[in-house]
Amino acid sequence: MPNPIIMPKFGQMTEESSIVEWKKKEGDKVAKGDVLFTVETDKSVMEAESFFEGTLLKILVQPGVNVPVSSTVGWVGTAGEALPAVEAPKPAAPKPSAVAQPAAPAPVVATPTVTTNVPAPRPVAVAAPVCAPKLFRISPRAAAFAKHAVVDPMPIRGTGPEGRIVEKDVKDYLAAKGYDKLRISPAAKNLAAKENVCLLSVQPSEAGRISVADVERALAERPKPMSKMRQVIGQRLTQSIVTQPHFFVTVSVDMTDLIALRAKLKEQGAPYTVTDFISQAVVLTLQEFPEVNSTTDGKSIRWNSRVHLGVAVSLEQGLVVPVIRGADELTLAEINAASKALAEKARAGKLAPNEMSGSTFTISNMGMLNVENFTAIINTGEAAILAVSSTLPQPVVRDGKVVVRQIMKMTLSSDHRIVDGAMAAKFINAIKAKLEDSELWKRLTS
Amino acid sequence: METFDVVVIGAGPGGYPAAIRAAQLGASVAIVEKEFHGGTCLNWGCIPTKAMIAAADLYHHIKHAGQFGIEVKGVSVNFAGLVAHKNKVVQQLRGGIGSLLTGNGVKQFAGTASFVDRNTIEVAGQRIGAKKVIISTGSTSVMPGFLPKSPKIVESRKFLELEKLPATLIVMGGGYIGCELACMAAQLGVKVTIVELLDDVLLLLDADVRREVRMHMEKNLGITIRTGKPLEKAEAEAAEMVLVAVGRKPVTDGLKLEAAGVKTNEKGFVPVDDFGRTNVANIYAIGDVTGRTQLAHYATSQGIIAAENAVGQKPSKHESLVPGVIFTSPEVALVGLTEDEAKKQGREIITGKFRLGGLGRAIAVAETGGFVKWIADAKTDQLLGAAVVGAHATELIAEAALAIRSELTASELGRTVHAHPTFAESWMEAAHAVHGTCVHAPPKRKK
Repeated sequence: MPNPIIMPKFGQMTEESSIVEWKKKEGDKVAKGDVLFTVETDKSVMEAESFFEGTLLKILVQPGVNVPVSSTVGWVGTAGEALPAVEAPKPAAPKPSAVAQPAAPAPVVATPTVTTNVPAPRPVAVAAPVCAPKLFRISPRAAAFAKHAVVDPMPIRGTGPEGRIVEKDVKDYLAAKGYDKLRISPAAKNLAAKENVCLLSVQPSEAGRISVADVERALAERPKPMSKMRQVIGQRLTQSIVTQPHFFVTVSVDMTDLIALRAKLKEQGAPYTVTDFISQAVVLTLQEFPEVNSTTDGKSIRWNSRVHLGVAVSLEQGLVVPVIRGADELTLAEINAASKALAEKARAGKLAPNEMSGSTFTISNMGMLNVENFTAIINTGEAAILAVSSTLPQPVVRDGKVVVRQIMKMTLSSDHRIVDGAMAAKFINAIKAKLEDSELWKRLTS
Repeated sequence: METFDVVVIGAGPGGYPAAIRAAQLGASVAIVEKEFHGGTCLNWGCIPTKAMIAAADLYHHIKHAGQFGIEVKGVSVNFAGLVAHKNKVVQQLRGGIGSLLTGNGVKQFAGTASFVDRNTIEVAGQRIGAKKVIISTGSTSVMPGFLPKSPKIVESRKFLELEKLPATLIVMGGGYIGCELACMAAQLGVKVTIVELLDDVLLLLDADVRREVRMHMEKNLGITIRTGKPLEKAEAEAAEMVLVAVGRKPVTDGLKLEAAGVKTNEKGFVPVDDFGRTNVANIYAIGDVTGRTQLAHYATSQGIIAAENAVGQKPSKHESLVPGVIFTSPEVALVGLTEDEAKKQGREIITGKFRLGGLGRAIAVAETGGFVKWIADAKTDQLLGAAVVGAHATELIAEAALAIRSELTASELGRTVHAHPTFAESWMEAAHAVHGTCVHAPPKRKK
């Protein structure tokens, strides 16, 4: 009889884990103590060893799928041995994260995750009786019946020997669930069978009849592993919002003159974008406020002498933050060239890791997305982040009269451990003053 | 000013069912029509062409009756009699619509409607109020600008009003209207040339279906088909007659859509959402004027749903599965996905084909040309599309439409008992062919 390979429980609190990589292929010989696969837990990557000798007969759980601990993830036995009819454990449903998703796609540094092998106790006796899962037992006849009905037999209580599910159990279960009353289009049933969708979990829409569209909806709802990129975004942002006490300061910038200047420059063939001007203004201001251009690990603070400016770029799969290195020594034209090159690389997915890390301050610009105002989450470890919103015509008071000007809102999110309110106010107003100073821009662009 | 719950503009195959459905649901309804009840479909489209095609078909059959041992001598076409038959059919149906509208208490206004504002419509100097409006003004033939204005250059409507057919005819445009009329004229003895700018005629069909129709048209009816080149002005001028069938444009002249704030797209059509709603809250549009599928039965389906939505029933969407029928010789019909569309969508499909020549009934009645074809999902066996070319294709397609809308699989369809001997058996055979288990066709060689 083949032996089940069990997803080990590495931490007291661990309820689910996912396999990073299978170190053995189906059909490989396995000795006791061989590493079968590596497991990603909350903190680290651990190795899972085999307790049995034989052949890896079947891999039930593919890498990247989260399953409850103690699930059967595969089988070891004698080559050619028949496997018990057991389906792969269902991926664990994603739990609502402790922190609500940020409304605005705030920037993150998409450095490749470093998986550390924390020297944790080896899983000595995972298969000990206490942890051993109740084996899923079903008679072939019952399994065939459930399969024919396109129903997942996992939740059925078995009344046969040792809790084995027999045909009568499946029939009782279907009757109890009102299966007979379901009306299912033939194509919908085929699709559900093909894609392993339990028909009892499908909500019919059109006049109570389960249609192909309903099964497709159930398929779309099926939890799937998040992309590595989204996972990294999630981890970094959660770390920032939880450990760095954020507060927010907003100002309105009158962009009318700068936009007029830019339009004039554009006619003359100059390539500057509004983002370039904002980057330049931020870089100049950071050099006046070393506190804001700092990074911290919570215990010590580092005032960075150089400005490495992160600029969030939105991609289809998520966000990356390419970094303009040594921005304090670049001219406006060089900033323009550097950001253009980085953004292009980012869109082509060709940023090198060192081009996405080491920023000292970050700008998130949603100007082109028609938003009045938003707040960003600080790039972990940095002191602040500037959220730039769209420039919109607004009535404002000038010399006692209401006039229409092009107004852009900016919101600075600051880490209160490093930056206090007054500092944040001074810093953001210094940026505003620069953006509104047309003489400065004439000088920088001449 | 009299005010109605619903005012329908245009009494074509979309408009009059909309008016009747709204009235059935208890609304006070008015309908405005500038010409005749039934619109293009009844007066200058579907119905008159079918009356004439029936005559042409019958003539064709009589001429070929020899194969059944029936000897016919001295058969000839009296075109005036044929036209009289057509006119009688149209008259009868027109009258029918009038009595249906009256019977349902729909008030009828004659004249061209124009919007005064979104709730007021003017017809022949009289203003009527409308809580909801359904625009169903239809479409008309496009006439390319380079063609001279001349009585021998006609579009489909003028063509159907002819008192005498020409000896030769150039049909400009190889779409379904052009091909239908070309076949009819050819069957009545006209020497027809079809000139199509694109690479083939009837491009909405899959290549295998196209090939079949084209072969019959060229070989059996002697139609010349020229593709890939435009019709030159000189050719048009030299021709005895040119029938222009290059597409249809929306009819919105005099409607003053701007007074109601109804937006049109760059081609002048009134865009609507899946519920038939225009950009103005109380105004719906249906049928050809919306620029969607330009078919009478789609307009009817849209009209009924728009009427239900307009009188405040729980909004439902237009049906998306619309069969298309083409009365060429042989007839063609299709529903759902074509192979080309499935490929474009990147769907993995399998097809099953059955030639009518393998059917006992087809052989008995000497109508063995053509085939039926199922297009099924390779993964789930779901029937996604169907096409049929051959005798009775336009009737046969109904079963396919029902099967596809019910999400049947090829094996379900194949297991359904079909009466013998009928043409409809071909669906069952083709469904078996999807799995390579067709009884009445030679086995495919294994690859």
